[in-house]
Amino acid sequence: MLRPSQEPSAGPPSRREPSRPWRTRARHDPLHTLRTARAVVADLKDGLSGPGARRAARRLRRLLNVTGLGLADLSGTLVWSGRAADPDAVSALVDQVLHGETAKDRPPLVAVPVYAGDGLAGALVVAGQVRRSAVREAAAWVADAVERGRMEASVDRAEQAELRALRAEISPHFVYNALTVISSLMRSDPDQASELMLDFADYTRYSLAQRGDYTTLSDEFHAIETYLALQRAVLGDRLRVQVRVAPEVLGVAVPYLVLQPLVENAVRHGIEPRAGAGLIQVTGEAEGNDCVISVEDDGVGMDPEHARAILAGRGGSDSVGLANVDRRLRHVYGPWYGLVVETAVDAGTRVVVRVPRFQPGVMP
Amino acid sequence: MLPSPNGLRVLAVDDVPLALAELCRLLRAAPEVGEVVAADDPISALRSIQGDRFDAVFLDISMPGLDGVELASLLAKLSEPPVIVFVTAHEEHAVTAYGIGAVDYLLKPVRAERLATALTKVVRMASAGGSPASPSPVRRPDAMAVLPVETAGRTRYVRRSDVRFVEANGDYVRLHTPDGVHLVRMPISRLEEYWSDSGFLRVHRGYLVALGAIRELRSDSAGGLLAHTDLGDVPVSRRHARELREQLLRAAQTGMFDGSERGA
Repeated sequence: MLRPSQEPSAGPPSRREPSRPWRTRARHDPLHTLRTARAVVADLKDGLSGPGARRAARRLRRLLNVTGLGLADLSGTLVWSGRAADPDAVSALVDQVLHGETAKDRPPLVAVPVYAGDGLAGALVVAGQVRRSAVREAAAWVADAVERGRMEASVDRAEQAELRALRAEISPHFVYNALTVISSLMRSDPDQASELMLDFADYTRYSLAQRGDYTTLSDEFHAIETYLALQRAVLGDRLRVQVRVAPEVLGVAVPYLVLQPLVENAVRHGIEPRAGAGLIQVTGEAEGNDCVISVEDDGVGMDPEHARAILAGRGGSDSVGLANVDRRLRHVYGPWYGLVVETAVDAGTRVVVRVPRFQPGVMP
Repeated sequence: MLPSPNGLRVLAVDDVPLALAELCRLLRAAPEVGEVVAADDPISALRSIQGDRFDAVFLDISMPGLDGVELASLLAKLSEPPVIVFVTAHEEHAVTAYGIGAVDYLLKPVRAERLATALTKVVRMASAGGSPASPSPVRRPDAMAVLPVETAGRTRYVRRSDVRFVEANGDYVRLHTPDGVHLVRMPISRLEEYWSDSGFLRVHRGYLVALGAIRELRSDSAGGLLAHTDLGDVPVSRRHARELREQLLRAAQTGMFDGSERGA
């Protein structure tokens, strides 16, 4: 094993000579080589100035069986592993490589540029007896690792952005129906119009909220009651509603607006398409360590196969709400916590959400 | 500073004329308010305050020239500062609002029920001397943990912890407990004062409920809210719904409903 004192922490290598020569073990085991290569990719996921860069340099040094190896980022900051080399010579060489974008050979040092994506990302410096082709190959591997890290980060960012975008969805169908009703009530019943306008303000304020990612179930239930108050004005006696929530689940943290799309879906697919009145029941209760929320309508129902297609995102544009909620729940709580849809033709629809009452990292 | 005897004197400040008119209308309709003066910009608000004395100022935050937060900081330096309530379209202003000592903030458009809650705070604050630093009401010694009731000439005692909810009945209250309903001669508002520190909340003009006894919140087609207990449903008026939700949420977050004593 290496003694810690022989491993310079970061930055330019020190002038101090190690007390004894490096024990370098050449390995020709392909399994070892593959394992090292994979580890280097993981080490470099945050780039050449990330926390894993020094580990990556150490692994590459052993793989190439050289006395010293350094990785420099675009600013010229270097992490070094192995026997100390002249720091001035190294940093001068790194500068030249970064500015000239060409490989430099100054025995015993070799430095090559590392390209990731469509630009320069840094440089690889090797000290010791080594073939130029091996250095080029190592630099290419480092470049691929850096690029992969960048792509993963951008996928993460895109996913976050998508989750936020999914949350902000407001149904235009509902908004204009509500505004039409309010506008008509302005003459016939100004008090109710004013009351509904306040509900509408609450509805939009909640739907457009730009706070954190999570809220309490208490707020979610309040939001659907506001939504249902507006829908009652639109649908009149056709919409009957029962909401029941147990106080012990009011403090449960959930992602914003997971409930409203389910209730909206129940209204659109359970109540609106048929002539008579319909009943929507929303409940929230504790079941051991889980909180179970169900949204049920006694409407037209659907073929269970169609419900599966909807959850898989193949349900057409008017049922993306359900698929979005399903995706967000799985993203936050893991694959077991998606929506459960119980339905059959002419048998109504029941959508069940099950979330842990306490989940690390999920806080309003 | 004591509130004016004929009701609160309130200054309302907003640079949007119709928003100001609506705020003044709501304030004038409130029973706690005696007089409302309107100012449609921060400078005329300052002028009114210099020449006059107000119990409370309702302040819009986004105004040109001098915004509501700056104006409030100036007011806080007065020798007898009025109680400040912010009126704002933006929820993110709330933190700032409380930071400079406002007693409440209202979101636009303002609901009458919500304004009533704010005015209750204003009255409490104005009579306490105006300083938001000392709002804690004096905790009275635990009174009325047991109430005597007369049943057929005999005096029995009803424990507060057995009461699920209280129903007003003229000068009497009806205490709903698992072993029956007991009639006690006392106005509900008096019992509310005694029991509000012990987990009882007024949820309706005629009802007081024990928070720990609530099994479910229910709302029906008419939009009315009910607090369901094992001894029946208690109606919750719109004006009290917000307070009930907040208290229940706080109780749930502090684990009040997690105990096994709730049974089923």
